[in-house]
Amino acid sequence: MENREILKYAIDELKKQGADKVSCSLSNSEKKELNIEHGEMSLFRTTFNSSLSIEAFINGKKGSTSINKVDQESIDEAILKVIELSKSSNPDECYDIAENQPPQIFSCGSNEADLDLMYDSLSDFNEHTKNKFPKIILEAAILDFTKTKTYIRNSNGIDFEVNKGLYGFGPMFTAKDGKDTSSFNYTGFYAKNISKPLHKYGMLEQLLKETEEQIKTFPIKNKFVGDIIVTPDCIGDFLSMVESHLSDFMIISGRSMYKNKLNKSIASNKLTLHSHPKSEKLAYNYFTTGDGYACENSTIIEKGVLKTLLLGIYGSNKTQQARSVNNGGAHIVEPGNKALSDIIAETNKGVLLSRFSGGSPSDNGDFSGVAKNSYYIENGEVKYPISETMISGNIFEMLNDIKEISKETINDGSSIYPWIQFSGLTIS
Amino acid sequence: MINKDISSYSSVFSKDYTELRVQENRSINITLLNGDIVSNDSSAKSGVSSRTFKDGNWGFSSNPNISDEAIQSVVKSSTDNVKFLNKRSSKGCGILLPESITDYEFNYSSKKEKNDQKYWIEYLKSLDDYIISNYPKITSRTLVFSALDMEKNLLTANGSKSFSMTPRSHLIIILTTEKDGEPIRLMDAHGGLGQLQDNFTDPKKYFKEIDKQVQYLIDKANGIHAKAGKKEVVLDGDLAGILAHEAIGHTTEADLVLGGSVAGDNMHNQVASPLVSLVDFANSYNGNICPVPVYVDDEGVKSEDVTIIENGILKSFMHNKDSSRHFQTNLTGNARAFSFSDEPLIRMRNTAILPGESKLEDMISSVEDGYYLMKTGNGQADSTSEFMFAVTMGYEIKNGKLGRAIYDTTISGIAFDMLKTVSMVSNDMKWESAGMCGKKQPIPVGMGGPAIKCQINMGGR
Repeated sequence: MENREILKYAIDELKKQGADKVSCSLSNSEKKELNIEHGEMSLFRTTFNSSLSIEAFINGKKGSTSINKVDQESIDEAILKVIELSKSSNPDECYDIAENQPPQIFSCGSNEADLDLMYDSLSDFNEHTKNKFPKIILEAAILDFTKTKTYIRNSNGIDFEVNKGLYGFGPMFTAKDGKDTSSFNYTGFYAKNISKPLHKYGMLEQLLKETEEQIKTFPIKNKFVGDIIVTPDCIGDFLSMVESHLSDFMIISGRSMYKNKLNKSIASNKLTLHSHPKSEKLAYNYFTTGDGYACENSTIIEKGVLKTLLLGIYGSNKTQQARSVNNGGAHIVEPGNKALSDIIAETNKGVLLSRFSGGSPSDNGDFSGVAKNSYYIENGEVKYPISETMISGNIFEMLNDIKEISKETINDGSSIYPWIQFSGLTIS
Repeated sequence: MINKDISSYSSVFSKDYTELRVQENRSINITLLNGDIVSNDSSAKSGVSSRTFKDGNWGFSSNPNISDEAIQSVVKSSTDNVKFLNKRSSKGCGILLPESITDYEFNYSSKKEKNDQKYWIEYLKSLDDYIISNYPKITSRTLVFSALDMEKNLLTANGSKSFSMTPRSHLIIILTTEKDGEPIRLMDAHGGLGQLQDNFTDPKKYFKEIDKQVQYLIDKANGIHAKAGKKEVVLDGDLAGILAHEAIGHTTEADLVLGGSVAGDNMHNQVASPLVSLVDFANSYNGNICPVPVYVDDEGVKSEDVTIIENGILKSFMHNKDSSRHFQTNLTGNARAFSFSDEPLIRMRNTAILPGESKLEDMISSVEDGYYLMKTGNGQADSTSEFMFAVTMGYEIKNGKLGRAIYDTTISGIAFDMLKTVSMVSNDMKWESAGMCGKKQPIPVGMGGPAIKCQINMGGR
């Protein structure tokens, strides 16, 4: 059977066997992946995969399964299994599938990997790193191209096709001088094409330089309450903590600190956070929600005011609040007016935080963790790279304590972030 | 089931060293959120992969189909991939991997009859009803059954063959209460090696566990923030396990040593108190099966215990074939892959600090001003050996007695410094069997240890 026909067959068979509503997707992917290990390109992987996901509802009861086979026997087994799972469940009137929408084909990126370009780019990056940053050990660096074709259909008539072909790059590195070792550091980006040397993407060159500086680190002298300036490579960790409180699971469970905060102020009016999965500025686009609605771009926080929760159909029905037009992520934070150098110059005492190794925050937003690959700031100057330094605070209080947002931003293909300065953190 | 003889496929191997692996991962997830079923899923992913080595380079290919044609195709593709790299660079010309031949089968499939999904949904419902009936101040309840069967069939060009079926299943209970309008949460996990029907019989057995969890949660809700800074602490066995994994284990994986880990400069040095010995157990400890038993790794190497630290001295690293060639040392059988489409990486199996001679109560009573830390969340390692992990349950210790509970916090330290501060080690041992380690791929791991008295950096106010 042809891919679309597989989904039509599954929906028809499930309905024949008693399903009231069915939602299915079929994804076929091919990945080409070149790997540097310990400074040498030594592994080339080619992987193929399929994923057939089926969700069925019988008398308001839900079951789901996912397999990676598309032969007739496997599909029929999956259909039987999902019927059995649905029948074994309990009914919930809040389950539903997406309403009918016009058929659409979405596309982003390239059709085929340019393998020679991939090899040459990764090889050049390796040489560049060895020559310019001789103390850096490239522990691992992965350059891949993943091509995915996904079909989405449901029993309300949805018929979407999504084609993606993206390059992804993720290096991880440490600097070493004799017996002195830096913390490992890493970064990554997505791109529709490789149009420039890899070290020129995102903050990579800067991070390699800083990691060499971080071979010698020092603990901070005394515990204090001060500022942190969080880099674009690190700020996503904190914004993800915030976003998790907008999800179905946290809102339904009642554990979210934002359950009653829609259209209320939750952050400094300096902060505007967009979720733009369809943005031309980003390489990593997505086009449909997890429930099968075509996505729209949205603004999550506008000048400090919470504009949307990130609820799917179930969460929306359960809480009687509006469904989100996307899944979140694809963040674009509006830049500020001040240069990073001026923000640092006006900082009395704090930390330039490049990587945060922390425990999952409590539901009330309290968090703590170690500042990695980071610097101590005093009297407006970056003084020295630090180690054995803990940052403790509350993520929700932090959003209200934004002092500055830089005018410079970094685009890593999946988000566009500036540097953000927060006050009132315990640094020990 | 994929337990079939694949030895005939050696005829399609090229003359280069090749591994062929057929694998299926089967998973179950049932999640009850405040009484509603938000996940009712049973899924499976299977396929075949081939990895070929020549002149220092590797080629890898995988395919979800497990037909003769697909197997021939992945072997050809992995061979073509290594040829592509060798055509571009001949730096590793002539490098050969150490040889190892093993033929072993281990199968932990349940002997009991399988229950259907409805049984497990009702099981969770009965636990949920118990919580509702007995604990009205619990504001949110999440109960999860999760199970993962990993079934692997391996053939290598050296002639190694193995079949393994390693199941794990867990019951996870997350309870929340409120203090001054703010949610306070505590998670607990039960289960380990075995399928659901092996690990979970009568739900009433878990009522006492729920009682204990609720009591801890109430203590925590009435707790205080830990004071930030360097403190004297007693880490319970659960935390010693993650300490073994994060603080030392990762830094002594040979690929991380090659990547610059500080452990590389400390072989045969005193890196810990003489009270500390640390072992990555392959499959059993003291005659008991470990949480994640590995008998043959995914390179066809017999898995051996690795004594990483013995009486405070760093003794050895964990290896795959390539790193044991590099370091010219014995094979340890630490190469494992998560999915059919993943290549084997150097991974820990069951990493544990060995018990000492002290008693937990004596350890607590010897602390004047510090903390007793009992339960943990996520953690992370570093090439410097600076680790961190979350603490989700603990109490302050004042004048040798337990005081108020503390809110969630994080602890950290430089492992090779911190382990020198270990002054007491308890004579018992706990295994944590729900661990999932992330390093390019996820992988199930076991972690274990006794209680440990040491000095550590605490996050807090």
